[in-house]
Amino acid sequence: MKKTIAILSAGVLSLSLLAGCGGGEEDSSDGKVKIEFFHHKREGMETIDKLIAKFEKENPNIDVEQASPPEPSTVLRTRVSKSDIPDIIGVGGDMTYKDLSEAGVFADISDDKSLEKVQPAYVQMLKDVSGLEEVYAIPFATNAVGVIYNKAVFTELGLEIPKTWDEFIEVSESIKAAGKTPFFHTYKDAWTTLPSFNALVANTQGDDFYSELNKGNILAGKRYKEAAEKMVQLTEYGHKNQQGVGYNDGNTAFANGEAAMYLQGVWAIPEIKKANPDLELGVFPFPATNHADEVKVISGVDLILGLAASSKHPEEAKKFIEFLLEEENAKQYIQEQNSFSALNGITQDDPSVADLKASFEKGALTDFPDHYIPTGVAPEKTLQTLVLEKDVDAFLEKLQKDWEKVQDRK
Amino acid sequence: MKEDNPAIQAQNISPKVASKTKRKMKSREMAYYFMVLPAVILFAAFHTFPALQGIYYSFTNWNGISLDYDFVGLKNYINLFKDVTVLDSYLFTFKFAIFAAILVNIISLAVAIGLNSKIKGRNFFRAVYFLPNVLSVLIVGFIFNFFFTNILPDLGEEYKIEFLTTNILGSADFAWIGILLVFVWQACAFNIILYLSGLQTVPSELYEASSLDGANKWQQFWKVTFPMIAPFFTINMVLSMKNSLMVFDQIVAMTGGGPGNSTTSISLLIYTGGFSGGEFAFQSANAVIYFIVIMLISVFQLKILQKREMDM
Amino acid sequence: MMEKRTNWPVTILIALGSILILFPLYMAISIALKNPQELAQSALSFPFNLHWENFTRAIEATNFFSALKNSAVITIFTLVFTILSNSMVAYAIARNMHRKLFKTLYFYFVSALFIPFPIIMLPVVKQTSALGLNNPAGLILLYVVYGMAMNIFIYVGYIRSIPQELEEAAIVDGCSTWGVFWKVIFPLLTPINATVGILTCLWAWNDFLLPLIILSDSADATLPLVQYVFQTEFGTDYNLAFASYLLALAPMVLVYLFAQRWIIGGVVKGAIK
Repeated sequence: MKKTIAILSAGVLSLSLLAGCGGGEEDSSDGKVKIEFFHHKREGMETIDKLIAKFEKENPNIDVEQASPPEPSTVLRTRVSKSDIPDIIGVGGDMTYKDLSEAGVFADISDDKSLEKVQPAYVQMLKDVSGLEEVYAIPFATNAVGVIYNKAVFTELGLEIPKTWDEFIEVSESIKAAGKTPFFHTYKDAWTTLPSFNALVANTQGDDFYSELNKGNILAGKRYKEAAEKMVQLTEYGHKNQQGVGYNDGNTAFANGEAAMYLQGVWAIPEIKKANPDLELGVFPFPATNHADEVKVISGVDLILGLAASSKHPEEAKKFIEFLLEEENAKQYIQEQNSFSALNGITQDDPSVADLKASFEKGALTDFPDHYIPTGVAPEKTLQTLVLEKDVDAFLEKLQKDWEKVQDRK
Repeated sequence: MKEDNPAIQAQNISPKVASKTKRKMKSREMAYYFMVLPAVILFAAFHTFPALQGIYYSFTNWNGISLDYDFVGLKNYINLFKDVTVLDSYLFTFKFAIFAAILVNIISLAVAIGLNSKIKGRNFFRAVYFLPNVLSVLIVGFIFNFFFTNILPDLGEEYKIEFLTTNILGSADFAWIGILLVFVWQACAFNIILYLSGLQTVPSELYEASSLDGANKWQQFWKVTFPMIAPFFTINMVLSMKNSLMVFDQIVAMTGGGPGNSTTSISLLIYTGGFSGGEFAFQSANAVIYFIVIMLISVFQLKILQKREMDM
Repeated sequence: MMEKRTNWPVTILIALGSILILFPLYMAISIALKNPQELAQSALSFPFNLHWENFTRAIEATNFFSALKNSAVITIFTLVFTILSNSMVAYAIARNMHRKLFKTLYFYFVSALFIPFPIIMLPVVKQTSALGLNNPAGLILLYVVYGMAMNIFIYVGYIRSIPQELEEAAIVDGCSTWGVFWKVIFPLLTPINATVGILTCLWAWNDFLLPLIILSDSADATLPLVQYVFQTEFGTDYNLAFASYLLALAPMVLVYLFAQRWIIGGVVKGAIK
């Protein structure tokens, strides 16, 4: 069976390559080449629409269609299984990237010139996540997790940006004492526990966590203890209905000044601004430990551009990828999406993220730890229980067990 | 049944006519085969064959997209029984299904009895009670999710009702009740109509006879009404049990299985774990077990149904 | 039936119960007609300023008419093919239940009711696209085929209650089996066709999962699929979301309002068999 599938897919591949040679004219009646860009950034559809319009103007013979369906991961997996693979795939630098790479979905671009434009740290991240030496996609946009804060509240209460965990707790105490809500937690959506957990874990799990993991030692049960305890501590500074509010409502509530801080990634900022354009907000690095100069900001690859190995129009698809990598266009994307660029020399100058800039400049960055947890473990579910039940030991035991059992099923 | 068989009837006619009729019979018979043949082929191709593939994958470690995978024998099945998440999802689903089936049937029967008595605007109310059945489950879930999340907590604050101030969908202990309410709200519609049609088959003379015997309303219900509509009760039980064992859309729309895994039903687990979780083979094994469980429960219920029909 | 006079206590109880059904729908409508400020003030109050623009915006945001057309095409074709094909298959089975083969077929189809969909999901996605059926036509085919499990169960029960004398008379008149079915049996199936038709319509119209995984082209998206934008893009614009929900629910509700007696009657007939 294994063999049959391998032969079949090789056949499909060569067929599509053949088709690729003759491709171009027969594609659509108006003589245009149609390529599909599938991505998981629904928030970015408008920006990408604009960029596509610009590209099509420059390349009138190419028609780019973007697809960003609900449940992108499920849809993408079903499309891979039906060999109906989009020409360009944009997912995050996470386990989906790993699975797709292993399935041979992407063309190998390890030697591609475009990679020279990318900051090496992000290329390395892709290699680490997939555990492969080859690179299968170009990191395009990156994100960052920090603490989003309401500047007005901080000024009003005369608060300084906390640099250490203890200061962080002190600030939270003063906000609470002033009768305001320190954090707007949104635990109804399980995944919203991940940003702060990632920030805490990355700074406390120990440097040898991944090398041990590669040897097959899962250390979550031991090494996540500090992070889990701090997660529980943070639940004390939330609001009353924090278990029952989700991400969308959280964005609106923070935009309306219902809390002083918001533990989210920078991707939430455009949404918050949509709800209240006048809000003055900033983002500071998550002070996960008391060693202020060692604290690293979590920044991972948010959007990769992967060329499908089966693309019928690799030339045109490549052209579009290169177009997106042009400085002007890459800049437009990160500006409108409030994200960061994986490319050399393109910086995010928005004042709201100015406090993160220092970390970016000195490279005090580290990837999302949950990108290394197999998807079957679903740590966000266990975290949701943790912030509800506040039982650290039960959490550590469950996560360790889940991880081991998923590993065991491979 | 035997006398229906045209072939047997044909034998009673004279030999010459018989052979002619037989040939005719033959084409008559063939027609039946042609009627079912395309359906069987399509059904086998689009249902049975994929199901067999799914069963095959349950013995492998395929993640749904990788090019190669290994045959792992019964490993997935063994792991299934060791997996707390899976066991919890079965417990949740059974708890949910039992409560849902009981509540749906009690409420539907009560409403149906009400609708069957002499009331004003009966057709109007009948139409109202059936209305939820034509609405999309997913959208109803979205609408109620908004009520639980945004409206009830505000009301709780305003009128100082403590337990309303936090969203019950965010509570590991009570989230399932929120889903249960929405499920019952919608599922009753169909069952009310079924019970109502059952009640209309009860001859009114029976009531008159029993009221002459001096039975009160309560006794009348248990001695006359209930035995008469017992087959409807069993049908409704089987239907609502099966539907609630497969609960999916409401959960997707309201809690996504959370908090934690407290509202993760079996079908939701198979779906999320198998697709976005990349454990297609493992969850296929889960689906095979789930199929066996649902089959056993339904056969068990059908046995009761048959027994009751014989008692009648 | 015994009481000659209206039973007022029960009427009142039933009326109160119906408020439980109607109130959430009233709320949905009133939210859809408010603007965010009015919603923030009070969700319960009556919408005095009717913000119809929520509906026009929702129509734009979801490309409503395209989705409506897709849903309608899929539902109507599914309905027609289901009734024509499933009733015929059920007829052949019902009239041959004494034969082992047909009896086996009956249980073969009906047992599919118990097979959880996720197990066939991935293989079927693969297969439909290999055959070029990842489009509305393929979706219709799948609805017709998957509907068979339930529909054959309903049809067979009903057809077996139809006396065979009618068919025998037609046979004597020289009708073929096909003729017997289309001329004699099919017209008799009208009530049960209504039942199957209603259940099929509701299913095809409201289904979310199958269109999500089968349809490749976003231009083919059905109404339930496009509602998903309100979980992400328009996350907290609840007025807009509710307007769109109502637009998606409206066509079925309208059909129901006009054909309500007939629909309920149809469901009842299907259930008794």
